[in-house]
Amino acid sequence: MNVYCTAMVEFDPARLITRIAATQDRGAFAELFMHYAPRLKAMMMRRGANTDRAEDLAQETLLRIWRKAAQFDPGRASASAWVYSIARNVSVDLMRRETRAAAWLKEQGEPEEEDLDEPELHLLVAEREGLVRATIATLPHEQLRVIRLSFFDGLAHSEIADLLEIPLGTVKSRIRLALQRLRDRLGELK
Amino acid sequence: MTNAATHHPTDETLAGYAAGTLDEARRLVVSMHVARCAACDLQVARYEAVGGALLELATAVPLRSDALENALRQIGDDTVPPGASSERDPLDRYELGPWRWVGPGVHQRSVSVPEADGIKVFMLKAAPGTKLPHHKHIGYEWTCVLEGAFEHQFGRFGPGDFDEADETMEHKPTVCEGVPCICIVALQGGIRLQSRLGRLLQPLIRL
Repeated sequence: MNVYCTAMVEFDPARLITRIAATQDRGAFAELFMHYAPRLKAMMMRRGANTDRAEDLAQETLLRIWRKAAQFDPGRASASAWVYSIARNVSVDLMRRETRAAAWLKEQGEPEEEDLDEPELHLLVAEREGLVRATIATLPHEQLRVIRLSFFDGLAHSEIADLLEIPLGTVKSRIRLALQRLRDRLGELK
Repeated sequence: MTNAATHHPTDETLAGYAAGTLDEARRLVVSMHVARCAACDLQVARYEAVGGALLELATAVPLRSDALENALRQIGDDTVPPGASSERDPLDRYELGPWRWVGPGVHQRSVSVPEADGIKVFMLKAAPGTKLPHHKHIGYEWTCVLEGAFEHQFGRFGPGDFDEADETMEHKPTVCEGVPCICIVALQGGIRLQSRLGRLLQPLIRL
């Protein structure tokens, strides 16, 4: 049994955000912070921020979550999608976007692939958000890679083509196939 | 939000918008469409769900030892209570210039998106029935209709509609009858007028 998976089931970010909105619950904020800030720091680093800057941007994202908690609508988006959208806004608002040379990312290397396709993950996280994660984990490696470079690392499709040295059309078709597969498996992604 | 729009950004554009990879000018024009189109808003939400799942799957990077303490202090000092900040119009963060005459029946106002890579953002207001000069694009021209409508060979573009043109397209838009047409436009590299008269007038038309 994977400890990480067990923790994921108990962790209910939507409830924590709702509690912040309702009672300005600092404990709920601390819990959200400990879960998301290290992941947001990773995202900001992939988007070109150095370690210190990435941590500041992760802090800023959590601060915005605190302020905007009342706007979170669990019926419209999952907590992680909402957190992602705020982080994306922080990165576009506060990072001057320089077109990163493919060389820069090659130097960074790609993050180590986690062993995603664990049967426990499918069984344990039955809620919708978990289903998105589980389905993403079943994508063929080359599709997962372009999806990650696009949505997590924030690379334009042309930059992904440069980085992987594949035609732009291939990047687009991999992204299209991945999203198609997600939609087939999940119906409406919410 | 309505579903009245019939012309939408491409899926690739919406994915880039959700991922945060569009430049500021294009992002603004796309956001004006998304705010007016339930279908594209849903599509963006789907892409954000993918982003959220990737965030959950990310390998965490350790924080400084006092990170949480700092964050708690910040929210303690925060003068903005939770829920106080509200969704704003994407245009709110920009200054709009005065309407200026740029050609017969056509006015333009600037939108204070910092100019980068020869891309600028402005609003256009054209009187009903105005025929805009036949033009080609040097780079891209992305337009979202805010009020009124125009028409060209690819159809009729009414409120909320999004028109994504690039250098392969020639345009000869006509403003529909009724009310003036107001659009927001992100334009890269300017336009090239196609008629001889147009080329003579080009220096006068500050598009």
